[in-house]
Amino acid sequence: MEQSEVMERVVKILTPWVKDEAALASVAMETNILEDLKVNSARLVDVVIAFEDDFDIEIADEDVDQVNTVGDAVNLISGKL
Amino acid sequence: MTADTQLGADSETIRRHARHRRVSMLTSPIWVSACVLLMRVWFRYRIADVEAVRAQYRKIRTQSDGPILICANHLTLVDSFVIAWALGTGPYWLTHPDELPWNTPEATNFGRTWLARAAIYMAKCIPITRGGAREGVGDVLERVKHLLANGETALLFPEAGRSRSGRVEESSAAWGVGRIVGAFPDCRVLCVYARGRRQETWGDFPAKDDTIDVELACIEPKSDAKGVRRSRDLAQQIIRQLMNMEDAYFAKREEGADAR
Repeated sequence: MEQSEVMERVVKILTPWVKDEAALASVAMETNILEDLKVNSARLVDVVIAFEDDFDIEIADEDVDQVNTVGDAVNLISGKL
Repeated sequence: MTADTQLGADSETIRRHARHRRVSMLTSPIWVSACVLLMRVWFRYRIADVEAVRAQYRKIRTQSDGPILICANHLTLVDSFVIAWALGTGPYWLTHPDELPWNTPEATNFGRTWLARAAIYMAKCIPITRGGAREGVGDVLERVKHLLANGETALLFPEAGRSRSGRVEESSAAWGVGRIVGAFPDCRVLCVYARGRRQETWGDFPAKDDTIDVELACIEPKSDAKGVRRSRDLAQQIIRQLMNMEDAYFAKREEGADAR
């Protein structure tokens, strides 16, 4: 799967949890999920589970520690496909 | 293979924790006395039925040698001190400071000045920045796992912040607590519901002269799920237990009001 396709699906999954929709309009690989998109940190787990379901992969707790930006999520998922 | 090696605690985490622990133990006569005096003399708090709460805690502690994590509802900045005082007397903690639970307070609340940072460092606190960089949060969770693996106790607030509605909020459940519990096959969770009788909603401190009700319930959360789904599942079991305790607390309070 192309990285651009992973990115597109990641952004689509993130959308319901994003509180700053303006930031979503200019989302990029370096966009911070918590600080820029204002996703509630307690809800990050739901986002990760949605990644698991959508891409049919399994993500360990420790993997989530490396995810700060949209690009981190894309790279993590791409590495598991 | 030690419990730590199995959990993957690195040597830096182990060294850092050992150093922190030594400082906390050495300074405990100062901060334990200060905390107890503040609660007894300045705030004049009382724990309702305190002997029964302490006896129940002692019984729970002796029931198993496995790790025990304390998870509580969160309404004020001093909940962890109030809970520790409810679980043991001042003289007991002065002579057994190693048994006092470690805490993970919000860094932005307690880390504004060097004095505050030094005070919480001494008082067995590992500050966490909620919503901060995942790696920093992960480091704190690894430290909590390390201390549980070594027979120490930690107190966490699974709502990851004070309950803004004044009630336990399932939607605020942080899954980090599930990650810690899931690291141990036999981990027990001591759920603590604490609330001052004049505590209507969240705040900085319970009202002066308040009587604080404390309820305990010990559970062993289990889940067949894997990865983050498992951590979320375990965290939700803890939050639901706290919600059930809260419902029971208010039902009892209403019964009391009706009887009067």
